[in-house]
Amino acid sequence: MVKLCVLIAAVSLLPILCLSFSPENPTDRRVLVLLDDLSLKSSHSIFFNSIKSRGFDVDFKLADDPKLSLQRYGQYLYDALILFSPSIDRFGGSLDLAGVLDFVDSGHDLILAADESASDLIRNIATECGVDFDEDSSAIVIDHKSYAVSETEGDHTLIVSGDFIQSDVILGSTKVEAPVLYKGIAHSVNAANSLVLKVLSASPSAYSANPSSKLSNPPLHSGSAISLVSVVQARNNARITITGSLDMFSNRLLRSGVQKAGDSNKYSKSGNEQFVTELSRWVFHERGHLKAVNLRHHKVGETDEPAIYRINDDLEFSVEIYEWSGKSWEPYVANDVQVQFYMMSPYVLKTLSTDQKGLYHTSFKVPDVYGVFQFKVEYQRLGYTGLSLSKQIPVRPFRHNEYERFIPTAFPYYGASFTTMAGFFIFSIVYLYNK
Amino acid sequence: MARSTSKDAQALFHSLRSAYVATPSSLKIIDLYVGFAVFTAIIQVVYMAFVGSFPFNSFLSGVLSCVGTAVLAVCLRIQVNKENKEFKDLPPERAFADFVLCNLVLHLVIMNFLG
Amino acid sequence: MAAAAETSSDRTLRNAFGGVLSFFILLLIGVLAFSIRLFSVIKYESVIHEFDPYFNYRVTQFLTKNGIYDFWNWFDDRTWYPLGRVIGGTVYPGLTLTAGTLWRILNSLNIPLSVETVCVFTAPIFSAFASWATYLLTKEVKGAGAGLTAAVLLAMVPSYISRSVAGSYDNEAVAIFALIITFYLYIKTLNTGSLFYATLNAIAYFYMVCSWGGYTFIINLIPMHVLLCIVTGRYSSRLYIAYAPLVVLGTLLASLVPVVGFNAVLTSEHFASFLVFIIIHVVALVYYIKGILSAKMFKVAVTLVVSIGLLVCCAVIAVLIALVASSPTMGWSGRSLSLLDPTYASKYIPIIASVSEHQPPTWPSYFMDINVLAFLVPAGIIACFLPLSDASSFAVLYIVTSVYFSGVMVRLMLVFAPAACIMSGIALSQAFDVFTRSIKFQLPGILGKSEFDAGDTSSSSVVAENDAAKPDKSEEKLKERPSRKNKKKEKELVEKASVEKTSTKSKIEKRLLVLPLEASVIALLLLVFLGAFYVVHCVWAAAEAYSAPSIVLTSHSHDGLHVFDDFREAYAWLRHNTEVDDKVASWWDYGYQTTAMANRTVIVDNNTWNNTHIATVGTAMSSPEKAAWEIFNSLDVKYVLVVFGGLVGYPSDDINKFLWMVRIGGGVFPHIKEPDYLRDGQYRIDSQATPTMLNCLMYKLSYYRFVDVDGKGFDRVRRTEIGKKYIKLTHFEEVFTTHHWMVRIYKLKPPRNRIRGKTKKSKTKTSATSSPRKSVATKKNPWH
Repeated sequence: MVKLCVLIAAVSLLPILCLSFSPENPTDRRVLVLLDDLSLKSSHSIFFNSIKSRGFDVDFKLADDPKLSLQRYGQYLYDALILFSPSIDRFGGSLDLAGVLDFVDSGHDLILAADESASDLIRNIATECGVDFDEDSSAIVIDHKSYAVSETEGDHTLIVSGDFIQSDVILGSTKVEAPVLYKGIAHSVNAANSLVLKVLSASPSAYSANPSSKLSNPPLHSGSAISLVSVVQARNNARITITGSLDMFSNRLLRSGVQKAGDSNKYSKSGNEQFVTELSRWVFHERGHLKAVNLRHHKVGETDEPAIYRINDDLEFSVEIYEWSGKSWEPYVANDVQVQFYMMSPYVLKTLSTDQKGLYHTSFKVPDVYGVFQFKVEYQRLGYTGLSLSKQIPVRPFRHNEYERFIPTAFPYYGASFTTMAGFFIFSIVYLYNK
Repeated sequence: MARSTSKDAQALFHSLRSAYVATPSSLKIIDLYVGFAVFTAIIQVVYMAFVGSFPFNSFLSGVLSCVGTAVLAVCLRIQVNKENKEFKDLPPERAFADFVLCNLVLHLVIMNFLG
Repeated sequence: MAAAAETSSDRTLRNAFGGVLSFFILLLIGVLAFSIRLFSVIKYESVIHEFDPYFNYRVTQFLTKNGIYDFWNWFDDRTWYPLGRVIGGTVYPGLTLTAGTLWRILNSLNIPLSVETVCVFTAPIFSAFASWATYLLTKEVKGAGAGLTAAVLLAMVPSYISRSVAGSYDNEAVAIFALIITFYLYIKTLNTGSLFYATLNAIAYFYMVCSWGGYTFIINLIPMHVLLCIVTGRYSSRLYIAYAPLVVLGTLLASLVPVVGFNAVLTSEHFASFLVFIIIHVVALVYYIKGILSAKMFKVAVTLVVSIGLLVCCAVIAVLIALVASSPTMGWSGRSLSLLDPTYASKYIPIIASVSEHQPPTWPSYFMDINVLAFLVPAGIIACFLPLSDASSFAVLYIVTSVYFSGVMVRLMLVFAPAACIMSGIALSQAFDVFTRSIKFQLPGILGKSEFDAGDTSSSSVVAENDAAKPDKSEEKLKERPSRKNKKKEKELVEKASVEKTSTKSKIEKRLLVLPLEASVIALLLLVFLGAFYVVHCVWAAAEAYSAPSIVLTSHSHDGLHVFDDFREAYAWLRHNTEVDDKVASWWDYGYQTTAMANRTVIVDNNTWNNTHIATVGTAMSSPEKAAWEIFNSLDVKYVLVVFGGLVGYPSDDINKFLWMVRIGGGVFPHIKEPDYLRDGQYRIDSQATPTMLNCLMYKLSYYRFVDVDGKGFDRVRRTEIGKKYIKLTHFEEVFTTHHWMVRIYKLKPPRNRIRGKTKKSKTKTSATSSPRKSVATKKNPWH
């Protein structure tokens, strides 16, 4: 059963790679948006238009559309999925929780937005990705200090947050000046989970509770532990964004100005538009996607890759790393890419030097230990796809004729052996002809 | 006590000397050769004690070549010595031929092991 | 005078006849030795047996393909991953080079045998050579008659057959031949005093060093014998010629072999030879001086030397002892120490203790392996004392030491077998001499003829033994095809022996025993019968007990022969369904076979040179799934192989070996404790087993889905139902199980793509959607 699914996933990967989401062209092309009701098309039109303007094919469907399917005859029909259907209990057609997870596990991206009407299905999808929404289905994020000053809503559920993650890759090089407006539910992230990042956290005074009832127990989620927007980069580099506020993407919040309570700064436009646009760029692999090719090694002075090295050889190692700019592969420039010469523990660890055109190279001496080594390049940086390359190469000891010969300290022994032989020769002559 | 032992020692040396002079010259040649080989071996051991045992295989081959050829010469002496009753039917040519063969094998191995 | 001339020509004719007869008998013995070892080829197929031979076969393949220089420098990266193994420096090259040379010669003669065929048949060929070598050796000790008998005994003795059947391509196949030849050349040198044989002796010793680690037996036995001769006053210059060149040349040649290298001069196993080397020089010098000086002077010299020399000696010995005692094992290797102190291995080195070949033999195994020879050996020992010569004292020493060592390790029964055959051959031929001589002497009296030769007395060296005559019921081995050979042997002995009843004949000084005619006839017949029993036993042992290639198992059931070929099935699956670079982890028993037949990289194999690595694998097998996954992942393992015999009742499976895994793992990683796996000191796998046992990886991998077979999970080897029946695997998945469930292969699952959050899945919604995906433990989240 499992093997079958893996097989299908693998098979479905292959043709898709040629068409749209390929290692050569990692940006997604076809996006499926699942909505609770089609009015979202217009109420979130700025966001959708920004996606369309970047060249994506956006396909809108109702979440319970009976003809819904992500794949046909083993091939995936879309490269990315946007779930703006928080209250859906059961997807229509052939889609279900496992289908969504398989979609992600086969390398495709996901944007998931929930709100206070989030169903169990949506909550389970989030849990499977590593994000735990508040189990209390009626709780939403309330902040009595960092709320947005507004005329319409007075229960401090429309909150403001500027606590972004420090990452130019995820949020773009331009800093988001204005804070982001948020209205929705809270989720938390397990600190031990290395794949999940909190992109937007709540302020220390936030908590998650039911706004219309009295608080009987202290809230389970509170403070900065509440994450408002999280991203997950899975091990196969599929990117997932999970947030508890569908409204964060809505035109209303995108266009509105923002003023934090108690803060005199009044921004005419909230940071939402910049925030969600940059975030969607990152999720759809337009930024921060690396590839490493041409891992090469050879002995100093040669060009071919040998099948085996000898101890104390000198070798050169090179690899090329490129970053996808959304349209083409640009050389990736960094000064912290390292290579290990590894056999159960790294014997050699060197930082690669770059020629600014994407080629990273170094040279070192093979250690004095023989065994089966690996060249390992492990590069995991916040927001970038992980690079994990390894190439196995054995290292042999000296051959019997590669040891040093004619050692000066041993000359007396050589001399003694030869004089013994000469002596034997002379002796036998003398002995034979002695009368 | 000491004087008696020294007198005994002198008498001993005399008798040894006189007995030895009586041996035939061919045997004396062999003895000379044995002495030379052992002397070379001792020199090498002393050298090794000073310098250390690297490279050990050269040291071993040097010492063992000397010791080996000395041993083989002693065997030759035993076989050629006319006083030895056990070997009276052994023609000395055969003894010498065996000696040469054994030495050839020895030196071949030494050359291989020398380094 | 005419009679004398007639007798001399008669004698030469008889000698010539005897020589031709011996030649043909030896030829037949060679054919016998070869053919009795072919049962496995006939019953199963021409395949390599067991575990170690597969490694030798793989090395031979490499040698034939790449030539000797590449073989000498071969670094094997497909075993002991990731440490690799330097094959050139850790393997005894004798066997491989022999088979490679054979193959090369045959191929150059345009006989295109495959390497496998040559490897399979190397052992029978060399056992034929070994029996010829035994003939030569025993001829030096006692005479040609004893030689022939000993040769035939060796050709058939079950102990030797067990390690040299066709297909058992192991070091001992060639090493026993080298051992006997070395001993023969040593005795020959001792008897003749010729330097030529001393050279040959050194070269044969070199061959032995190349072939087997048991060469230390030779290099300790010969000095012991030299010492014995000196101590018993049998020093002669032949002894010097036999021993001194051997030590020098032998040490040099032994250092040439990379496996031994400098150990030839540095380890305690060789010190005995150097010590005796020094002693024999001292003794030689003493004898020489004694020869030169007069008696009085000699006494003076002795007192002088003794007083000075004693001081020097003490100093030197003190230095030596300090050097040796400074190393913890006093310079002995682990295996040698376990020979001297049988309990050493079980206390300190569990790996050596765990090999089944290193266990002490049981009493019945003596009778199984050498059969009637066990009773003949004491008679032979006594025969060696009458008269005692250098050669026979050597034979006695050989048998005494080999009896001790065979009692320590069952594997060394093999070294004991030639000694037993020699002794028995001597005893048998003596007994035959007496009986046939009695008959021959008394036959003329009955038939009215009176021909007996006086001249033949000098050619026979028969001395009567009272004791040998008594156990006429004693088992005497006869050559097989008793009819033909028996007559030939009798005739030959009859011709060689001469009988003189009265001691009035001048030339003979020996005491000759002559028994009554009827008694000797009956005794002869009884000996023939008992010899037949020996033959029957040997053939049965060769056919039934020792011809099983453990790679293929058979069992007889009511509907015929059932063949279990699961091992090869599993290796073939691995070979065809995995990538070339995939690593397979299993217990070390199967390492050689996996590399040779499946051609995959393994983590540990039968060489067991790195205890820590084996302990790592043992720890992984004894740990729960997640910890085991971590360990295997750090070693880049892709597949795990376990052997399970519970379905068919195969007793040497991994669950039976599991306690050794725990012990060896616990020896290096202290968190694995053996008592955790035992309930009240008992090893159980049923419902009373400890939780640690029920959760360890070996248990899970062996019994996964086992309950589906018969609904109850009844393990036929342990004869109980298993304790935990419904097993879920979270980090491994089963990829292959062979037909009789004997080999099971599992794959390590890659780490999960997403790490799950902490919220429990809600039951209402998702159970409906996730139940269609009925799979065995894939959706469970193991990572928290």
